[in-house]
Amino acid sequence: MRARSHIALVLSLTLPGCGFAWRALKRNLSAPPERVLAHKITEPIRPNARLAALWIGHATVLLQIDDRFVLTDPVFVHTLSQASPRLVEPGLDPERLPPLAAVVVSHMHFDHLSFGSLDEIEQRTPVVLVPPGVRANMPRYSFEIRELEPWASYERDGLRVTAVPVQHVGGRYALDAAFETRAFTGYVFEYHGLSVYFGGDTAYIPSAFMATRARFPTLSLALLPICPDAPRDFMQYTHVSPNQALDAFTLLGARQMIPIHFDTYINSDDAPGACPNELRARMRARGLSDEQVPILAIGEQRVLIEK
Amino acid sequence: MPAPKPRVMSHAAAVGVWAAAQLVPSPLLVIGKEHVGGGVRWQLTPILYSFGITERPWRTFLVSPIARHSGSIELHVSPEWACCAPEDRSSWLVRAGLRLYLPLLEHGEKLSWSIGSAYYRAAGGGGASFDLGLLTFNGAFGLNVTVSPWLARRELISALTIRLF
Repeated sequence: MRARSHIALVLSLTLPGCGFAWRALKRNLSAPPERVLAHKITEPIRPNARLAALWIGHATVLLQIDDRFVLTDPVFVHTLSQASPRLVEPGLDPERLPPLAAVVVSHMHFDHLSFGSLDEIEQRTPVVLVPPGVRANMPRYSFEIRELEPWASYERDGLRVTAVPVQHVGGRYALDAAFETRAFTGYVFEYHGLSVYFGGDTAYIPSAFMATRARFPTLSLALLPICPDAPRDFMQYTHVSPNQALDAFTLLGARQMIPIHFDTYINSDDAPGACPNELRARMRARGLSDEQVPILAIGEQRVLIEK
Repeated sequence: MPAPKPRVMSHAAAVGVWAAAQLVPSPLLVIGKEHVGGGVRWQLTPILYSFGITERPWRTFLVSPIARHSGSIELHVSPEWACCAPEDRSSWLVRAGLRLYLPLLEHGEKLSWSIGSAYYRAAGGGGASFDLGLLTFNGAFGLNVTVSPWLARRELISALTIRLF
């Protein structure tokens, strides 16, 4: 009986995922060639900025907070796990990155933790912060790899990075999700009185967003994923929808939100542009302006607070 | 409405899936001096030391691909059925040996290679064998060539290796 319930659980976990994975694989196999950006930024340091964000693509964002630079979930590779080609080239070449104060990795999935990309930025950062359980799944690099428990902080030269709770799944190769049950996180960066939230990948968990707001009541910016959305019955456990991202933005109490994690790779049933279009419609319904929720193009940099 | 908790397999179920996956054999192409045939091979790793990984270098049986392919040395045990043993003998044999994995691209996840040697025990006696491999897709697929100079009628075996963890 126990064995039968185990088999039922394995099948219920596997079969819906198989259907979705098969559709995603078919779409990836017929994906168009990687789009080249016409006017790529080559000098990302903005002397006039207190807070600036450059969306490099997917969950990779270069944040400038005064004179400190932080990079989130660096992925510069052209194919994920040899199966999912990039749709748009990275919005910044890794050799154009300024010296980084820290790099954060939210979890181990291939679209967030790229070993090849870390090779490209190895000399540019002293530390890569990761959630619990990830160190044992990372190859050796010259930078420090430090795990942060929920609410634990890393601090150096005035920059503080705190791990904040989100809901996702750990693991990298599917099966290891059963063993890496804590290997996912969000982060808050604080420097010179400014604070920025990075959600990585997360499902809609109001209690986590409210707890983060209680500790960081004056967030200047929230970087929130808005995709994958479809199929919702499969994604709801691990990903917010565009509408839920706006709910999360409200619960976090941030001044501005930049949507991320869309239209860079094919990892869902969503048509290209579907997630940002849905976000725009929901923003209009809520009376949110483009100033409050600027939707950046890949490679676009926005100064959010000037000096 | 808060999202429901993700449904993640228990450790026991994951180990069960892994164990079932280990039953999937790697197909073999057996090339003897005067014939060509087929076969199947299974593989187990009782212990592996990873020198490419940041933490927890010793692994047993269920080995994460990055631990293996970022650079490691393993003790492996491989039962196999390779066709065309001399007429009065069984085609079953077992190999046990050491294999070194080294990364080529993206710390071995994209491409790695391996070199190993083993002692085989077959009907009619034992001997040494040597193998060379190239692996891709996180080590899930690969090509492996095993040379067993003293294994009658099965001196050269090519394997399409299939492996989950």
